[in-house]
Amino acid sequence: MDSQQKDPRRDGPDPFRFPKWTNAIRLPVTLAAALAPLFILGLLYLLFSPGATSVGYQPAQPVPYSHQLHAGLLGIDCRYCHTGVETGAAATLPPTSVCMNCHATVRAQSEKLQLVRESFATGMPIPWVRVHDLPDFVYFDHSAHVRRGVGCESCHGRIDKMEVVRQFAGLNMAWCLECHRDPVPHLRPEDAVTVMGYVPDEPQIELGRRLRDARHITPKTDCSTCHR
Amino acid sequence: MSSMNQNGLDHNYWRSLQELSDEPEFRRFLEGEFPEPAEVPTDAMSRRRFLQVMGASVAMASLVGCRWPQETIVPFASRPEGVTPGTARRYATVMELAGAVSPLLVTSFDGRPIKVEGNPDHPLSQGACDLFAQAGLLELYDPDRSRHVLEREGGRPRRRSLGDGEAAAAAAFTALRARRGAGLAVLSEASSSPTFAALRGRLRDELPEAAWYEYEPVSRDNERLATGLAFGEARRVRVDPGAARVLACFDADLLLDHPTALRNARGFANGRRAEDGEMNRLYVVESDLSLTGGMADHRVAMPSLEIPRALYGLAAELVLGRGLSLPPGYESVLPALEHVRAAGHAPAWMGAMAGDLLAHRGESLVAVGPRQPDHVHVLAILLNEVLGNTGRTVTYGPDDQRGLSHGAAIATLAVTMGKGQVQSLVILGGNPVHDAPADLDFGGLLDRVAESWHLSLFVDETSQHCRWHLPRAHWLESWHDVRDHDGRYAVAQPLIAPLYDGWTPAELLSLLLDGVRRPAHDLVRATADREPGAGDWEALLHRGFAAALPVEKAAALDGRGVVAAVRRGGMAKPAEVGRENLELVFVRDPSLHDGRFANNAWLQELPDFMTKLVWDNAALFGVSTAAALDVAHGDVVELQLGERRLEAAVYVLPGHAPWSVSLSLGHGRTAAGGVGNGTGFRAYALRNSSALDAAAGLKVVRTGRSHRLATTQDHHAIDAVGMREREKRSRSLVVSGTLAEYREHPDFAAHRTHHPPLVSLWKERPREGFAWGMTIDLSTCIGCNACVVACQAENNIPVVGKDQVAKGRELHWLRLDRYFQGDPDAPAVAHQPVACVHCELAPCEQVCPVNATMHNEDGLNVMAYNRCVGTRYCSNNCPYKVRRFNWFNFNSDIPDVRKLVYNPEVTLRSRGVMEKCTYCVQRIETVKIDAKNEGRPVRDGEVVTACQQTCPTQAIVFGDLNDPQSRVTKLTTGDRAYHLLAELNVKPRTAFLARLRNPNPELAESADGHPAH
Repeated sequence: MDSQQKDPRRDGPDPFRFPKWTNAIRLPVTLAAALAPLFILGLLYLLFSPGATSVGYQPAQPVPYSHQLHAGLLGIDCRYCHTGVETGAAATLPPTSVCMNCHATVRAQSEKLQLVRESFATGMPIPWVRVHDLPDFVYFDHSAHVRRGVGCESCHGRIDKMEVVRQFAGLNMAWCLECHRDPVPHLRPEDAVTVMGYVPDEPQIELGRRLRDARHITPKTDCSTCHR
Repeated sequence: MSSMNQNGLDHNYWRSLQELSDEPEFRRFLEGEFPEPAEVPTDAMSRRRFLQVMGASVAMASLVGCRWPQETIVPFASRPEGVTPGTARRYATVMELAGAVSPLLVTSFDGRPIKVEGNPDHPLSQGACDLFAQAGLLELYDPDRSRHVLEREGGRPRRRSLGDGEAAAAAAFTALRARRGAGLAVLSEASSSPTFAALRGRLRDELPEAAWYEYEPVSRDNERLATGLAFGEARRVRVDPGAARVLACFDADLLLDHPTALRNARGFANGRRAEDGEMNRLYVVESDLSLTGGMADHRVAMPSLEIPRALYGLAAELVLGRGLSLPPGYESVLPALEHVRAAGHAPAWMGAMAGDLLAHRGESLVAVGPRQPDHVHVLAILLNEVLGNTGRTVTYGPDDQRGLSHGAAIATLAVTMGKGQVQSLVILGGNPVHDAPADLDFGGLLDRVAESWHLSLFVDETSQHCRWHLPRAHWLESWHDVRDHDGRYAVAQPLIAPLYDGWTPAELLSLLLDGVRRPAHDLVRATADREPGAGDWEALLHRGFAAALPVEKAAALDGRGVVAAVRRGGMAKPAEVGRENLELVFVRDPSLHDGRFANNAWLQELPDFMTKLVWDNAALFGVSTAAALDVAHGDVVELQLGERRLEAAVYVLPGHAPWSVSLSLGHGRTAAGGVGNGTGFRAYALRNSSALDAAAGLKVVRTGRSHRLATTQDHHAIDAVGMREREKRSRSLVVSGTLAEYREHPDFAAHRTHHPPLVSLWKERPREGFAWGMTIDLSTCIGCNACVVACQAENNIPVVGKDQVAKGRELHWLRLDRYFQGDPDAPAVAHQPVACVHCELAPCEQVCPVNATMHNEDGLNVMAYNRCVGTRYCSNNCPYKVRRFNWFNFNSDIPDVRKLVYNPEVTLRSRGVMEKCTYCVQRIETVKIDAKNEGRPVRDGEVVTACQQTCPTQAIVFGDLNDPQSRVTKLTTGDRAYHLLAELNVKPRTAFLARLRNPNPELAESADGHPAH
């Protein structure tokens, strides 16, 4: 073979030099590198924003039930419908028969209550859309919180002002731990748990400390407290 | 003993013959926590399956977007009174298995039963529960259950609606009623149900031409026949081991295979706690190594066929040798006893046993097992009578009269069918094509029956030979009633409506008799209203059983019947089992019973209590017998019994009787379902109607092939072999001693360990609040496996299959280590349940790179599954080998109905996650929340772990070690307590209580853990 045959590498681009065309993208790349921290911060911001944690999630319900009317204007206690809240893990949604306790006579012909009457007649449940949805590996117990004096409002917000229920709190682990580390801002006398817009007679911090010490409220931050 | 001395492990426990001889297979399991590396599933489907799953995941992901799928909450339209959704409720019910009753309390969560426990108020269970009732849950939700009526035309099954099936059956039954039942035969399972008995009585009256047969492949009919001879009428033998100081069991497995096994075990265990008083003494004479045999203070292994001779020898020793006087009228048994005494010598154990029985008249018990022929049972009845035990440790209650024994019934039915006299056959449950004696060819006979109906949970072997298959309601779906072994009336209430609209046998009978299918509820209710002592219906359902025992007629011994049977047995030529005449013993499978539970994955994967085999049975050989026949563990041999042949794998079991081979019934199913098909070897192929229990004349032919037996025996071996030099100074893992040692040095267990002062490497955490701890009493742990199934059901533990178990990847959080001690032909046995011991200075926590395992304030070593990245460092660093790794996602890709069994209180673990015993943290949290809601402290004994709850002997105690008054504190600081591997100073929260034996001083020279022989 011809000994003068050229080394193929000489023909190609020099492996130790940037090719010429990279000059054109110098500026964009530098800018991107400079802005990367900002971008990452932005992503983190979005990750922890209410949008990502579902705060404000407000799905339409099959029946246009208004908490604003029932809990707010009419002043029906939360526990009239959510009967399990003091005894069990689930607060429970009321069976249709509870709606019919009143609506058998009150607005008995209302069009909005069509589905409720059908459910009561056929025995088929009303498919309410779940608003507050914890992951399946989290074991939350309503009774453990309500009986210690944590108000409904602390996690669910001013339900009495919601025409349609929306998610009030982030329900992420940091949010849970915040209260488990220091429950004082959220403790109330047991008879005020379901009160909306509760204003204590004394400063909350003093009330909370007094209740915490009197009732030995020592929330745990162990993994096994919520994860089994 | 020579092999023992070779590796310097005298007086030490060993777990398998492989360990004893230190084979490479054992070393492989010892050295590697998980001996097999990770790999992709290698089955042919795997790549395609992977693509399917991936495709589905991508599709799901794009559908879902960034939010979880929208969930709906569907409350009741009208909520039943007292029900809070999301809260567990418990209902009393009963399960009946072959006429034996398990009283239960079943936990139901939002309408689906998720946990079966014993009824704590019922004297037969006292809260304990056996395997079959617990695993019944998985059977209820078995996706292989039959859902349709099938009609077989020309051999091909066609689906029919339930209505069509009912109409067809009703028409055929109307024709049968018109001919007064001529040509009709009914084949049923054993049942104690008064409702069923009433329907059967009506059938006898209204269809006088019809015939009724009752068959159970695993039967206690020899006992029933014997009481017929001894009392002139069938009687139920009720034993009370709790009242006995000396127990002599001849082939009798009182602690497991008995209608009152749970109560027997409780009573027996109460007599084993030396600190509470005297300790009882258990002698066992048997062929295979039974659960009861494992607990024996003195165990004699002899072929089943020679055991009659042993009991006659004992009777001769008592009466002729030691002058025990017979009541008047019984002198004529003397020639028989003299004949026995002249024929053979009396071994040392026999004299010692006789002396012990005589010294404990009125508080001893001679028990004979269901495999022994009727005259042996009669002799036991006589011995208990003359020893003054009748009325104290054994009583005889009335039994519902029934014609033929099970063996005779199935044989008679076969003859009738062979003659063509059966045109219509109604089979109520059972699976005779699989489990009838092989010589009857039941399947062939069944094909020739014109009209046959089979009511069954599964389309099984028998369904495939019947014209009609009808889906049966599961016991958790059925109204039913029973009369337990004590005669107590109880009602079973359904926990769930029939998933597939199945019928109960009583409903089918009512269709046969009345032309309409009356609901089982109405049938049972009518019986309960007639039943004296049943009381108010609601109260009966709430309590689960009738408080009042029925008034019974006392049993009177019929001297002539007894004498005739004993003379017949004593004068009979004794069986000579030996090298030229091997014996084959058919034993009930401890996991599958007679095979009906073959499709139950929990039971298939449950390690056998002695062999630790899973997903298989095997022909069990004694050590010296295997050596003499030149067969080894895992060899496939052909068992030849007369004309019949069966290939089966060999398992060499220490302590098995010489020249005897045991094979458990129930495996080798062909139409059990996806789980049970093709596991093990079908022992029924060798079973003839002439020898249902034990057969002589077995020939064993080697095939040269081998079979892989999956056993958990060598998995998770704690490295005691490597520590041999230290073991000489330190205790072994199972501390045991004799009663005499204990009386002399009550704290001998603590002194078995010698180690330098222990210095902690870590800063120790203060014990504040609760300090949960556990004790396990090795003196009373009988190794029955109930805790393992309870743990599996409570904690959503998946089954992994035979291949995975063979690789050491089983997921049971609780394992039962079984140790042998001493002579391989006559070893002592000890069981040791080991789960996570919740070390205070846990080595696993130090090596977790992501803090997925750590302590909580109560001192529990907890797992945060979401944090776990699957390094398996923790498992590597665990000295107790109790951590389990999810090599695959065992919870994906399973049918929806099967998911109903999950306990909603426990997270399902995914692939790549480590898991282990949590001390049932979900139960602890529930109790703590409830106590605080009620504003009171947690009471001692309020937190009950699943294993503790179901333990028949209450060997497990759980509680707060910070409470000086709690039971667990007292036991942990008591005499017999010791910690496993205490020298590591990891401070385990689980303590073991040393095992005590109570050998007879007369046999003392061989009593040091070694049974007399």
